[in-house]
Amino acid sequence: MKRIFDAQLIGPFAAMVIVALIVALTTDRFLNPGNLSNLSLQVSIVALIAIGSTIVIFAAGIDLSSGSMVALLTMILAQMLKFMGIPLMLALPLILVVGGLLGLMIGLITAYGRIPAFITTLAALIAFRGLALTFNNGSPIFSLDPALEPIFYGKLLGIPLPFFYLVFFYGLAAFMMNFTKLGREIYAVGGNPAAAILTGINVKKVQTTTFVIAGFMTAVGAVLMSARLNSGSPNYGQTLELQAIAAAVVGGASLAGGRGNILATLMGAMTIVIVQNGLNLNAAPSSVQNIVLGLIILLAVGIDMWRAEISALMGRLMGRPSVAPAAAKKKAA
Amino acid sequence: MTAQAPLWEFVDISKAYPGVLANDRVCIKLLAGSIHGLLGENGCGKSTMIKTLSGVQQPDSGQILKDGQPVEISDPHAARAMGIATVFQEFSIVPTLSVGENIFLGNMPRSTFGVVDWNKVHSDAAAVLAEMEVDISTEAITGRLSVGEQQLVEIAKAVAMRARMIILDEPTAALGEGEIERLHDLLRKMRSKGTGILYVSHRLDEVERIVDEVTILRNGRVVRASGETEITVQEIVTAMVGEDIGEHYPKEHNAKDEIVLEARGLATHNGVKDATFELRRGEVLGLGGVLGSGRTEIARALFGTDELTAGEVILNGKPVTFRKEIDAIRAGLALVPENRKFDGLFFNFRASGNITAAALGSLARFGVLDLKAEERATHDLIGDLEISVQAEEKTVNFLSGGNQQKIVIARWLFSNAEVLILDEPTQGIDIGAKIAVYKLINKLTRAGKSIVLISSDHDELLAMSDRIAVVQHGTIKRVLNAAELTHGDLVRASAETAGIRELEEAFA
Repeated sequence: MKRIFDAQLIGPFAAMVIVALIVALTTDRFLNPGNLSNLSLQVSIVALIAIGSTIVIFAAGIDLSSGSMVALLTMILAQMLKFMGIPLMLALPLILVVGGLLGLMIGLITAYGRIPAFITTLAALIAFRGLALTFNNGSPIFSLDPALEPIFYGKLLGIPLPFFYLVFFYGLAAFMMNFTKLGREIYAVGGNPAAAILTGINVKKVQTTTFVIAGFMTAVGAVLMSARLNSGSPNYGQTLELQAIAAAVVGGASLAGGRGNILATLMGAMTIVIVQNGLNLNAAPSSVQNIVLGLIILLAVGIDMWRAEISALMGRLMGRPSVAPAAAKKKAA
Repeated sequence: MTAQAPLWEFVDISKAYPGVLANDRVCIKLLAGSIHGLLGENGCGKSTMIKTLSGVQQPDSGQILKDGQPVEISDPHAARAMGIATVFQEFSIVPTLSVGENIFLGNMPRSTFGVVDWNKVHSDAAAVLAEMEVDISTEAITGRLSVGEQQLVEIAKAVAMRARMIILDEPTAALGEGEIERLHDLLRKMRSKGTGILYVSHRLDEVERIVDEVTILRNGRVVRASGETEITVQEIVTAMVGEDIGEHYPKEHNAKDEIVLEARGLATHNGVKDATFELRRGEVLGLGGVLGSGRTEIARALFGTDELTAGEVILNGKPVTFRKEIDAIRAGLALVPENRKFDGLFFNFRASGNITAAALGSLARFGVLDLKAEERATHDLIGDLEISVQAEEKTVNFLSGGNQQKIVIARWLFSNAEVLILDEPTQGIDIGAKIAVYKLINKLTRAGKSIVLISSDHDELLAMSDRIAVVQHGTIKRVLNAAELTHGDLVRASAETAGIRELEEAFA
């Protein structure tokens, strides 16, 4: 357990708590149960997709395709339910498989085709959106299945179901990253691919696997998206890929690969959603929300980069003895 | 040498980092026209001193005198303005730019409208290179030059800014014998023109060859300053390590008659042709030859990195085919690469992750790792190989080069590899750590493992190998008993037949 809840969680956790405190103090509706339950609904889709995005980042890749893939998958799901008469209980596992296969395709092209992940997934981002538009003449498909909505809005013991999805998938991901051979190999490939090859790790297979996981988690997000609105649309999921990457970055994952804690991504996603929620409650326009999101990403990466300076500053403020450059100069002169 | 006023004088320089006093009242006098060796084991405070002298950081206390006047080296710019040039171990050249651009980087000659005057860049650069008697085109893309030539470009930058003091940090770490000779000639020439040179190196043999006086640091303090008196290598080693270490190369002979691995007529597209040799159980087979002779390429051919176009590898009497490294590793081969930083270590892992990386399968059941067993195995190996205990808690980037190298080797002990290829295993690590690696080689051969040793340090290669295969142009010219060879024989053997001309061409 000590291994999962390590020091890397402290920063993102503190950020989340501070943000929550600020929002709670500036609005009176933040802590009411309705809002909190709404919050867990809101965070669920981004946070689930972010599991995949983060694991790709751990292996020093990047996945820009998830937003469009969500749109494509909701359209395929809608097609299956509405026009092909495939029952929900069969359509759901099928859509998860399709997500995994799309991820596999991206992974194979990236790893074995030696095309940078940034390019493959950027291409996929554009192409998947186009592909989504080829269904139903590019129009959204509504009223898919009455049994679909409870998947998102349903409750167990009074707690919204998406909460359980988060616990389940984050639990699984944390177990995988910290206790399995695959998790270790993902960190190794991200940390030093050249060394991984000389160590006998199948680097391409590992990279491909991370994209399969990302495709699968994107499909999970797409199912929730469809369930939430009981529809499929080629316009769903815009900028979702960026929010998912932002969650990983705010959670402290290094874009260079090899470093980060998957649970911190959940906190990163929560931080982002709490800020958005706070701005909503204060009736801030959506333009302001985007500006604030941009600043949060900068701040999160900045805090990581300036860690040494910040701890030196804190040390001085706390009155700990440290060597101030000014004092040193005086002595030297 | 007559007593003269020092060019630079560093008096009682102290510098503390959290938890460690890295420099404790260090004094160095640097004379004009003199090469001053700064020696010591890793972690003795050399790097701290270099950073202070080049203005990267400020000392906590102490005085810096230039021509007798107190000065302050406030930042690297100020250092340059005062004529201090530093050639760091990691080069600061831009590989994609031309030689001329690199020489004047940050200081390009401009014409009237502030536009870079390219004619002047190249003519001035050519003048500098001519002054150094180095024949490199100023138009050449620096990254395409050999490491030795890149090193010369680094020094050309210092010459171009008319530096009166040049600090060289491990300048020969990546150079072959011929290139080192070339560099030394250049340094002697600069010395005769009155430049003061601070020379930091681990290679004691070359320190003896080129340095006029030495300052030896241990635990942040000066333990020996030679002044103008002669000092022997043995005295230097003793001062650095703090005790008389006795035998420098503790070689054990553990070779059996049984042949473990046989290479027959190996050839690759990477320049290996008709390479044939055999490796016995418990044997250390040294691959000797100049830089670029094909030693590393033969290792790559053996390890499945480069595809074989001809020949075969026979392991324990059976022919084997390695399509990729992973096949070689599964068959019990291991490669400890030349560049442990880039190709060997996972800096995001602690010792445990690094040690078990090649044999995760042995720790896993249904894909789930037994982390307790991993910690236990790591703990045992750390104790066994005398690796710093910090490695259990900290990621390996916090460890010294020697500890890092031991961790890479420990990885193959854990995976139970049978044949280890060690490519420059002691490059850039201090004398104490080197001896630890030699002892580790003994331990491996005693346990019946076989080793292919590649090293540019001829003394090391001769002392630690049972037999030596002389490599030239990607092929093995002959295999000799190490005991029958001397340093000179080896240099001659690897340079013989067209080799001499090659050596000269490497710098032409």
